Amino acid sequence: MEELLNDLRNTLSTYDKNEAFRIVRLIIEKGKDPIEVINFLTTKMVDIGNRFAKYELFLPDLVGAGDIMQSILPILESEIKKKGLEVNKLGTVVLGTVQGDIHSIGKDLVNILLKAEGFNVIDLGVDNSASNFIKAVKDYNADILAMSALLTTTANEQKKVIESLVSEGIRHKVKVIVGGGAITEDFAVKIGADGYESTAPGAAKIARNLLKK
Amino acid sequence: MPLKGFVRKFKPLEILSDEDIESIHKSTLDVLKETGVIIDHKKALDLFKRSDCIVDYDKKRVRMPEALVECELKRAPSSYRMKARNRAKDLIVGGNTVYFKGAPGFYAADIENNTWETRSFTRKEYYDYVTITDVLENLHLQGPYPIFGFDGIPDCMKIVEGIAAKFRNSSKANYDAGGFDTYFFGIKMAQTLNTEFSAPICASSPLTFYKEQIDIAFALAEAKFPAFTISGCSYGGSGPVTIAGSIVLDNAEVIAGVVLLQLINPGQPVCTIDQTNPLNMKTGSPNFDNIASALHMAAGTQIWRKYGIPHMFAAAGYTNAKKLDIQCGYERGINAIIQALCGANFIMLHGGIYGEYTAHPLAAIIDDDIAGMVGRFIEGVEVNSETIALELIEEVGPAPGFYLNKEHTRKWWEKEQYISKVADDLNYQLWVKEGKKTTIDYAKKRMKEILDNHCVDIPLTQEQDEEIEKILVEARKWYENKDLM
Repeated sequence: MEELLNDLRNTLSTYDKNEAFRIVRLIIEKGKDPIEVINFLTTKMVDIGNRFAKYELFLPDLVGAGDIMQSILPILESEIKKKGLEVNKLGTVVLGTVQGDIHSIGKDLVNILLKAEGFNVIDLGVDNSASNFIKAVKDYNADILAMSALLTTTANEQKKVIESLVSEGIRHKVKVIVGGGAITEDFAVKIGADGYESTAPGAAKIARNLLKK
Repeated sequence: MPLKGFVRKFKPLEILSDEDIESIHKSTLDVLKETGVIIDHKKALDLFKRSDCIVDYDKKRVRMPEALVECELKRAPSSYRMKARNRAKDLIVGGNTVYFKGAPGFYAADIENNTWETRSFTRKEYYDYVTITDVLENLHLQGPYPIFGFDGIPDCMKIVEGIAAKFRNSSKANYDAGGFDTYFFGIKMAQTLNTEFSAPICASSPLTFYKEQIDIAFALAEAKFPAFTISGCSYGGSGPVTIAGSIVLDNAEVIAGVVLLQLINPGQPVCTIDQTNPLNMKTGSPNFDNIASALHMAAGTQIWRKYGIPHMFAAAGYTNAKKLDIQCGYERGINAIIQALCGANFIMLHGGIYGEYTAHPLAAIIDDDIAGMVGRFIEGVEVNSETIALELIEEVGPAPGFYLNKEHTRKWWEKEQYISKVADDLNYQLWVKEGKKTTIDYAKKRMKEILDNHCVDIPLTQEQDEEIEKILVEARKWYENKDLM
């Protein structure tokens, strides 16, 4: 079993999705606890994230591993449910680029990495009005609202969304993190965000810390 | 007489074979025909539909037949005039002429306090920056902003105020970003001043044009002002990681913009822009001025020359450096010279430091030297009986023959050399004696000289200035109504 787990872990580095599927099914057939498998893989993901932060690995490594994780998690989660247990998601994140902003690459990276870390992510895409964000936060009972703005012209939209959360009386229910090229830590503090990060891996870390999980 | 720019006197550098070009072209046509492009604009979709494109209105997807694309590429002019407020500074875009354009930054780099972090500019600093770009002789087209606004104005007004500042403090041709309805006010100001304004129509990679960008296309075409179409894909992120693949994607996006412009206004002047960069795999940001950008743009420039449509290289002005340091110099110098050799019609260079993030007038002053050197190089070597100087060589003979006192030397030396405005070109002893000055010291000196002595050659009349102010007031009301102030 240990060898199989190590082989599965290695697929996070070799990006061999078919091999990952094959091994994870074999592991399940052999009766291994799927929760333990997820925890085992999560340690590898954390290691990959740490190595990325030290510039030893690069985005294709990080995103490739995240992609493999995303692919095999549903199989493992389905097994957890079959056992009558709850899938322990880290939390639900509503994610999107603010109104007037059509840049998506940073947001897309955050999406992949949050999912790989075990968050349930609702990606609203680009050019979202405040009402879009508010509706999604309510509909999905989000733990975190993550907004991106590349342009300084659109940065203030984040402020508007936070003000709308207040006026809707749900600000206390959701943590807000902001990022994107136009956003600085000072700006994030000024508009009342709970967290700011300039990088996608950092955003995933902040999300984890905010939910203290 | 328009601004001369620099005219390349020799064949451009070609890095693709004819087969390579054909392969990329065919693949681009395939993308436009099979994959198609999202055009989030009903009026444009109708236009494409009437032009034999396959239009999926639900998905806003347009698939263009090869014949249409080929036809519209031929319809776009290979050369055109771009009006400046001072008609002597008009640009004749196309052919072998290379012009330089300003590169913007969201913020000023704080050179004054030597932190190199971001800071905002006061209104005076901003207007001074425009004055400097108006003076720099190798900057031919005013670029966007050049800093994103100044203290005391709301964000939504920053581009519009910048356009106004450039019309007020410069008589050169004016280009700026068109998003957030700024194109509307830029066009209005230009029409008031009987000149032109130009803006880019930006694709959002991959293969998507959002509504506002198409609004800009219609507005520029209807005003009959020159337009630019631009792709800004990050290869490895929003485009294929390979240079060839990202060129295909980039070309498909830019061509879609060209086709649309020609359908709106047949013969519409358009310049294409390559503003793509590889994705920086350490940070997720664009990898500015990476040599892969130079390869991408060199290949792209060669293809656009084949299409006969003017092309701009937009990466030279963006480096990964955060300071005006060695890295900043080598990245800018290498990229600018490569593009000039490859035949780009515009090179965006002056002022930018890191990405589109920081900029400074001192950078623009130093860049003007880079542009001058690059321009001098592409003007090549003049070979005729006078420059060969055979008679003079015979006259002077062997040592102790001397050329410095000859009329030929006086006549030609300034034409043959490039005389730097800000480089340290002293010998060692003089360098010590003059206080070991660097290029930044000389740039500061030039900046002061410009600001002490220069004002725009054709100032706006009081009436014109008031008209511009009225448009600014109108813009404020416009944004207030949109709840953006």
